[in-house]
Amino acid sequence: MSRVNPMRPQQTTSSGLKRMVLQANVKPEEAHAPKPIRSPAKPKTRVLVIAHSDRGALDDHARQALAAAAILADAETTVTVLVLGELHENLSSAGADEVMVLPELDFQQFQPDVELASLLAVIKSMQPMRIFMPDNLIGDGDLGRRLIAHSQLTTATQVVEIDTKHVASYQAGCSVLAVCNLPEIVLLAANAVDTDLPFSAKATHVDAVELNHASGEYQDLGLQTSSAAEIALEEADFIVSAGNGVQNLSTLETLALQLDAAIGASRVVVDDGKLPRDKQIGATGKTVSATSYLAIGISGAVQHLQGIKDCRHVIAINRDSSAPIIKRADLSVIGDAEDIMQALIGEIAKAKGANA
Amino acid sequence: MSLQRIAVLVSDGKNPVSGEARHCRNDSLALQVGLNLVPDLTVLHAGNADNPALQDYLALGASHIDVVPTNGDMVESLAAQLQNVDLILTGTRAENGEDSGLLPYLLAAKLNLPLVAGALEITQSGNHLEILQFLPKGQRRRVRVKLPAVVVVHPLAAVELCHVHARQILGNITAHPATNSAVHHTPWRIDTPRKPIKLKAPLVQTGHERLMAAITSKNKGGTVVNDGNCVEKAQVILNFLREHRLINY
Ligand SMILES: Cc1cc2nc3c(=O)[nH]c(=O)nc-3n(C[C@H](O)[C@H](O)[C@H](O)COP(=O)(O)OP(=O)(O)OC[C@H]3O[C@@H](n4cnc5c(N)ncnc54)[C@H](O)[C@@H]3O)c2cc1C
Repeated sequence: MSRVNPMRPQQTTSSGLKRMVLQANVKPEEAHAPKPIRSPAKPKTRVLVIAHSDRGALDDHARQALAAAAILADAETTVTVLVLGELHENLSSAGADEVMVLPELDFQQFQPDVELASLLAVIKSMQPMRIFMPDNLIGDGDLGRRLIAHSQLTTATQVVEIDTKHVASYQAGCSVLAVCNLPEIVLLAANAVDTDLPFSAKATHVDAVELNHASGEYQDLGLQTSSAAEIALEEADFIVSAGNGVQNLSTLETLALQLDAAIGASRVVVDDGKLPRDKQIGATGKTVSATSYLAIGISGAVQHLQGIKDCRHVIAINRDSSAPIIKRADLSVIGDAEDIMQALIGEIAKAKGANA
Repeated sequence: MSLQRIAVLVSDGKNPVSGEARHCRNDSLALQVGLNLVPDLTVLHAGNADNPALQDYLALGASHIDVVPTNGDMVESLAAQLQNVDLILTGTRAENGEDSGLLPYLLAAKLNLPLVAGALEITQSGNHLEILQFLPKGQRRRVRVKLPAVVVVHPLAAVELCHVHARQILGNITAHPATNSAVHHTPWRIDTPRKPIKLKAPLVQTGHERLMAAITSKNKGGTVVNDGNCVEKAQVILNFLREHRLINY
């Protein structure tokens, strides 16, 4: 059990309560201590990680595949990541020794024939010992299976457990756990790997290969995006969520409309009858996996945090700087919910107007 | 070319609680999608003709089911039955066997056909199919694929299943003569039931580091903005969204 340091700095709130100040006990130099570099000086073998990027970044699932490759790699193995789609971030903390980017192969474009042919070309030139891919729905699961069908390598899909010797995956309708020796192509299920690495890597860029031409069998007729209000909360990409600290729900609805976001709520709001039960997020409500989650006036009780564990970017607006949601959020803004929402609505309208 | 022969691959499912044999819902959806395109389908099952699960498929609209044995290479024996077929429909993931979702891909590679996964709706236009494809986060994509093709139907496909007892009585099942149901070349062994272990990087720490880790909590939270007026705070949020490309204005 982790013990709380009794000497932590405190702050007195307006109501006279003593509250511990979060994050004040980390010295800046400690937080930025550089991690040792893992990248091998004299590489002998290579493993390949393949993943689509989303909006210029690798998502958590893709980073888990990369982390698995980096953790399992020995001192003479290079971890090369092949990013399909644009990449605007540095992957050294994620464990990539080499990065190759093929920006034309974005996941929103349907071109499995081009992707597979380019992939086979990369594999031919790099001769990786093993291939890791996230088994997701944005194209990697599909591409990985196409690759498996075109190769004679040993494979495993939906891998929930992996180590240096073996992998395991659920079979027979998730009723049994089956294991096999570590295969050459590994399609990882989500959350099978911890992305915390005690090392970083060089992340040197390598030149991309030429793309192959399309076979003409497939044609992409374009994306259809439905407005956030029409889709189920579980599928929403942007959620604005109301908590007990929201006095005026109509302001929140306006904000959600402006951001084209779906509306969620904490249990208190739903119990009060302000929003229907199907909007409740949390342990007894829905588990959401939005890319952006804006929590307004939500304290962040564990039951609520359980429902948002898969959200990538959490932004909190709260009056209380010691609320548990602040610990979870990537950005927290301390202040009155109503005032900040109104300001946000105004600023968004201004930004949209300037853009148009 | 028109859609004349559509083949649907069905597997046997089981009730997750009682373990009783029943149809696999994902495959029944593929069957119904096929029935909406043409009234008469070739329905193919690799396994045992006595399986009570097959009765369900008869009731759900298959008038006839061909059963191929699974000893030997399953992809091989299915492919042998699937020559000259215009469209092969399958469900997304079976409820027994390896559950790897690999079968349609192996079959498409074997027969050298294009494959589209995650189909929600299928319409025919000339010698192409237009498919509404599922993507996460509420996105859908329209794609066109040349026939003949393999199409994997998504579990969210909006078709209604209709169970008719009369069809179950009228339908029939044919077992084909022979030509372990391993799908790919990976040897799996069943392990004792347990929770999977998450892979973590081994951490080498000195005693002092471990002590500090135990008495201080990790700096987990993100940036906290305390200062400024509302407009400045709203700007901070907008900048955060812009920086991560979550909005495009
Ligand atoms: C068995 C069980 C299951 C549960 N399941 C769920 C569940 O699924 N989902 C769920 O959400 N909860 C669930 N709960 C309830 C949960 O424990 C919390 O009670 C609930 O999440 C709190 O909701 P809240 O954060 O909206 O309200 P509060 O805890 O009241 O928090 C309100 C927050 O708003 C802030 N605030 C107040 N006024 C303002 C203002 N003007 N401007 C800005 N900020 C302001 C406050 O500082 C506070 O942090 C469950 C509880 C139990 C016992």
